[in-house]
Amino acid sequence: MTPALPTALHVELRKLTASRVIRTTSVMIVVGITVLSAALTWSATTGNEQVIAQLGPLADADGWDLLTGVAAQVTAAGGMLAFGVALSWLIGHEFSDATITGLFALPVSRRTIVSAKLLSHLLWAVLVAVGLTAAIALTGTVLGLGHPTTDVLDSLGRQFVLTVLSALIATPAAWAATLGRGLLPGIATTIGLLVVAQVAVIGGAGAWLPIAAPALWALQPHAVNAVQLALVAVVPAGFAALTLAAWARLQLDR
Amino acid sequence: MTDRLAVHGLVRAFGTDAGVLGVDLTVRPGEIHALVGLNGAGKTTLMRMVLGMLRPTAGDCRINGRQLAHLAADDWARVGHLVEHPFAYPDLTVRTNLLLAARLRRIPTAHATRLVEQALIELDLTRYAEVTARRLSQGNRQRLGIAAALQHRPDLIVLDEPTNALDPAGVILLRNVLSGRADDGAGILVSSHHLDEVARIAHRISVVNRGRLIGTLDPAATDLERAFFALVYDDEQDHPR
Repeated sequence: MTPALPTALHVELRKLTASRVIRTTSVMIVVGITVLSAALTWSATTGNEQVIAQLGPLADADGWDLLTGVAAQVTAAGGMLAFGVALSWLIGHEFSDATITGLFALPVSRRTIVSAKLLSHLLWAVLVAVGLTAAIALTGTVLGLGHPTTDVLDSLGRQFVLTVLSALIATPAAWAATLGRGLLPGIATTIGLLVVAQVAVIGGAGAWLPIAAPALWALQPHAVNAVQLALVAVVPAGFAALTLAAWARLQLDR
Repeated sequence: MTDRLAVHGLVRAFGTDAGVLGVDLTVRPGEIHALVGLNGAGKTTLMRMVLGMLRPTAGDCRINGRQLAHLAADDWARVGHLVEHPFAYPDLTVRTNLLLAARLRRIPTAHATRLVEQALIELDLTRYAEVTARRLSQGNRQRLGIAAALQHRPDLIVLDEPTNALDPAGVILLRNVLSGRADDGAGILVSSHHLDEVARIAHRISVVNRGRLIGTLDPAATDLERAFFALVYDDEQDHPR
């Protein structure tokens, strides 16, 4: 017999790479965020006052700082929503496509299968983060923002980490999709997380809220300390454990 | 020889009058045991409990002599099932769907690939091998689900309404495949609404009504329909709703 987790991971990666939903979401994150960031940067640089008014603390920035700042802002909201939708699909489609019955009575446990789902989501997020960071770097070069300095490379590094963290803090969507037996509860939970994060940032408590801290850190690295950043891990770890437990005890009773 | 499946006093009620309310049954090696009953009689609930999809509130269920709760990965690798919906991912081709189903039985890729090719031939799916499940007709999706349940040569096979959506050629194909598997020693539990169909392949026919086995039918009998409805009618008279 082949080992259970690598086998389940192989199966989940095949499903993920064949998925139209995942392919579309990948394009939306990489191309969508890059195009939006480039357009906003270009508009602000050319003096579009409506855009400048929307940029908040970035209104005075220019060049690479403006581009990477806008990209981080867009990723914080749009990236998390997209990763939450994708994760909701990864879990929820087993119920909506009624393939969940085929995941019982197997020599691979459901706990292992859902672990492979979460791992495949993380691997995909890392690839998307590489693609998005590279696309933003290329965009800055094409826009003629000059050779990236060390500070710019630091900003791009934070953009990569922010993208991966955006995927990780969407993990509650997996638990919600399991409990709700479908995609919509996961998507609704992601939207709820976004609203809570926005309210927390406006209220000044963002650094201590794990779902808001990554975006604050990407934009203002000194506004979030190491403890606050480490607390981010609580969300994926806690909700991954809850999701594994829910799959281990899953019954098709409704 | 140990029964492929042995169920004693299995209970999982939904309200006072639905679910499974105490069932005993066995499936021996080489035997096709058919469950027949009206919609909502409890056939699918019973199969779900046998496959671990629902936990019984009472009773005992053993596969190849081992209690369900104590089954190891090796034991589950010898089970094949199709309950309610075919195991078919819409974005994947027929071949890939079968390959992943085999891999989930923890079969190495090279061996799984050979099993898939055999299954494509056995269920007459070769011409659809590179077609995505999304584009298959309902009948061919059902064939795909049956192939996924049988390709790894399980010795306990559990099929819920496997003839659903199959055309007459598919029904005959399934009948031949199941008879062949039983001849090879597999135990098969199959539910169906089609009494004539069941009579052609089953060694035993049990009638389910309102969560209980209320009797058996002789597969060789001439008027199964009359015998079936007589059993159900008597049970309804004995247990008015």
